[in-house]
Amino acid sequence: MLSTLASASSPVTAAPPAPLLEVRDLRVHFFVREGVVRAVDGVDFRVNPGETLGIVGESGSGKTVSSMSIMRLVPPPARNVGGQILFEGEDLLAKTPDEMEALRGRRIAMIFQNPATSLNPIYSIGAQLGEILRWHLKLSRAEADARVVELLTLVGISDPATRLRQFPHELSGGMKQRVGIARALLCNPSLVLADEPTTALDVTIQAQILELLADLQARLKMSMVLVTHDMGVVARMAHRITVMYAGRVCESADAATIFNAPQHPYTRALLESMPRIDQSYTGTKRQPLPTIAGRPPNLLNPPPGCRFHDRCPEASAECRRLLPLETTIAPGHSVSCLKRGSEGIAA
Amino acid sequence: MSDAILAPTAAPPRAPGIWRQSWYRFRRNRAGMIGLCIVTLVVLLAILAPFIAPYVPDDTSAMLRGAARRPPSALHWLGTDRNGYDVFTRTLYGARTALMVGLGAMLIASVIGVLIGGIAGFSGGLVDELLMRFAEFFMVIPVFVVILAVVRLFGIVVVGTWMEDIPNLNMMTIIVLLGCFEWPPIARMARAEFLRLRGAEFVEAAHCIGSSRRDILLRHILPNAMPPLIVLVALGIGGAILAETMVSFLGFGDPKAVSWGQSLFFNYEALKVAPWAVLSPGAALFVTVLGFNLLADGLTDAFNPRLRQ
Amino acid sequence: MSALLEVDGLSKHYPVFERRLFRAAKQSEIRAVDGVSFTVNEGETLGLVGESGCGKTTTARSILNLVTPSDGAVRFRGEDIVPVFKGSDRARMLEIRRSLQYVFQDPWLSLNPRWTIGETLKEPLRVHRPEAPESWDARVAELLQMVGLEPHHAWRYPHEFSGGQRQRVGIARALAIEPKLLILDEPVSSLDVSVRAQILNLLVELQDRLGLAYLYISHDLSSVRYISTHVAVMYLGKLVEIGPVDDIFTRPRHHYTRALLSAIPVPSPGEAQDRVVLKGEVPSAMRRPAGCPFHPRCAAALPVCATDEPMLMQPSAPHRAACHNPA
Repeated sequence: MLSTLASASSPVTAAPPAPLLEVRDLRVHFFVREGVVRAVDGVDFRVNPGETLGIVGESGSGKTVSSMSIMRLVPPPARNVGGQILFEGEDLLAKTPDEMEALRGRRIAMIFQNPATSLNPIYSIGAQLGEILRWHLKLSRAEADARVVELLTLVGISDPATRLRQFPHELSGGMKQRVGIARALLCNPSLVLADEPTTALDVTIQAQILELLADLQARLKMSMVLVTHDMGVVARMAHRITVMYAGRVCESADAATIFNAPQHPYTRALLESMPRIDQSYTGTKRQPLPTIAGRPPNLLNPPPGCRFHDRCPEASAECRRLLPLETTIAPGHSVSCLKRGSEGIAA
Repeated sequence: MSDAILAPTAAPPRAPGIWRQSWYRFRRNRAGMIGLCIVTLVVLLAILAPFIAPYVPDDTSAMLRGAARRPPSALHWLGTDRNGYDVFTRTLYGARTALMVGLGAMLIASVIGVLIGGIAGFSGGLVDELLMRFAEFFMVIPVFVVILAVVRLFGIVVVGTWMEDIPNLNMMTIIVLLGCFEWPPIARMARAEFLRLRGAEFVEAAHCIGSSRRDILLRHILPNAMPPLIVLVALGIGGAILAETMVSFLGFGDPKAVSWGQSLFFNYEALKVAPWAVLSPGAALFVTVLGFNLLADGLTDAFNPRLRQ
Repeated sequence: MSALLEVDGLSKHYPVFERRLFRAAKQSEIRAVDGVSFTVNEGETLGLVGESGCGKTTTARSILNLVTPSDGAVRFRGEDIVPVFKGSDRARMLEIRRSLQYVFQDPWLSLNPRWTIGETLKEPLRVHRPEAPESWDARVAELLQMVGLEPHHAWRYPHEFSGGQRQRVGIARALAIEPKLLILDEPVSSLDVSVRAQILNLLVELQDRLGLAYLYISHDLSSVRYISTHVAVMYLGKLVEIGPVDDIFTRPRHHYTRALLSAIPVPSPGEAQDRVVLKGEVPSAMRRPAGCPFHPRCAAALPVCATDEPMLMQPSAPHRAACHNPA
């Protein structure tokens, strides 16, 4: 079937409303035998109500650890060593484990990367989704079943009443991910965290799931944090984008700005280094793709100064010495780069 | 073009290989290191027994002096047993027998196990099915009963033949029997490893290059299959020592051998009168088996970096 | 351009057994690859694309006899090499292997963890140049430099390298015996974005310098567009469309190709993309639909699509699609 869809539209950026989630100076370190790995080291980002924030970065950039710490689910040897996570005005890092348990799945929910392993294979779909409702909302079995059927319908699963009695292995990969999305939405959460929700899926299935997520996001006005390494996926889904590199935020702006007028050298290099599907490379001699030389620093002993300086074409002596702080250069657009007017601190 | 992480200076010191890395991890494992110390100590004592022991193991002169079942003294550090043997000397020499049994049995078991498991895992199909059913057949046999029966029957059969003159015949029978029954776990592990490695990408890469099957087996698969097998063998050594002790304790052992099980067998009736004669070989047995088990534990962690916390 | 590799009607069928108590009865078969034909010319790159389970990797592995093809011919410079692999002429087999090499997808699994990089790179030389062991070290150093590494890396172990560097080693190993054709099985899909570009550049540079031909297998269509001169699209074990790269990407004729292309999220927000979102999922290869395998998901399906299997038309045309109702 052919269906034409409008892409996610950019929200108005003039007067930012009170954010739903605000992460301030988050620090998560891994305490390993060799020392301290500064996986997340002073990260700020915010999610406004009804908005999708895309967090992009390569492996080791700290994007997954950041999103896990919103749920307070960073596994040992990682530990939260500083910062604030303000969710609806309350600091999640100050909450007790019991308070967090009441919050997880109810007001903040998660969509996992691998639908094959994120569902418990020994319970039927109805049982494992219904349990969440009975636990959080104290619904009866019948009420819970009705709600699960409603959600399964919402995520485009045909014949939901039958699916209730099916087990995860009876569903295909795309179907499992739909169930994963339904599970996240059961209690009408204010915030949904999605960590690489389509990476494990095939392209045509990925397109279906992305369409579903964009549609649900617009219809339910939900806020979403989408963690991914795929620039194409954030372009399709996110209103605002935060680019992370080596445990720090490089740049935050609305999606159009990130793609059309990126300021941070890393954002620029990352975009340029991707071959494009809509560009011809035949004809005369193929031009080499622009690349980022080298590789990310070892976060066990990060070099002083900007984390990107040894791969940055614009780096100067002060970049090697000073750590740039995030600076707003236009409404809704902030950059951490000394060359773009950021202040630097010796660190 | 080149990645800039590795400074393009002169050759840096050669980095540790995977075996050496395992050693680094092993060194940090307390249980494993204790196990290694115990095992090393037992091996050293066994080798140096003739130089340390104050008596020869067959010396029963204490009996003639009426000094059997005497408690520890300056003359007999761990006392004497009911036969007048010096308990310290017998315990020391017992370590030799124990190690011989453990190593000998597991050597036989490893050769059979790796051969059968390796062939099964590498060939797959019908060969695999048949060999594994064969292994299962061996696993359901009550090993202990078979050993007892064979040792006894064998002891009767050889009487009057030339074989009677072979020294330690009974002990060798026990070692061979233990080896012949302890191989199935090793074969199963070897099969699983060979099966896994047969499909590994670096093995396929070797196929693409055109390496011969012999090369692939000996240079790629076998070395990578070793770690879990080494762990099994270390555990098996302790098990074999224990098994031999039990056989001896039941009186089916080699009466001529100086083994801990024999000492227990000869002295357990006198436990109340001369407990030292039983406690010493018992403790030696306990510590040795514990040592091998701790060693195996440490090796498991050392070979499995992901399990490390 | 002369044809270097011709794959002609290649098939790989796996029997499906039903286990009974004492014997396994053959029940049906999975046609993982079914009558695939294509040609790779000297110095060119054919991109083989499709979703997981479409048979692209099985096709590549059949060419090198990592799986034995059930049917069809694989001709290298006109000679069918399938019988060579089945036969016992080791010298001839080595000759074929010298010309065709494989680069694996996962650089973490494709190197023996217990060997130094030098030992890994010497393995092909041990097999193919046993007469001159004194030349191996120099060749290893040369190979390392060719792929952008340093000669002293020969002393290191795989675990000391990043994914990108390991993939360079994998490429160096494949190049050690100067092959004519490299089969690249998803060589960049396990790498980070910024490292992907480095490896793609390396592949292009090596192709220009050494005159190599590539069979580039990937589900990442943007890298396929960059590196390929021709593209073949597979669906459920069948080749559904083949043609020059720009034709495929700008004027796809098969409806599956169109859907596949429009499913890729393009990194330009707000661009009104005409998205063709396919309904349903790829059926299991065990239950392949009759007629055109794509027809249950195809928006342009005709009644004939459910009954007759379309063939690739016009064997001489450069751009061909197996479709009754092409776009």
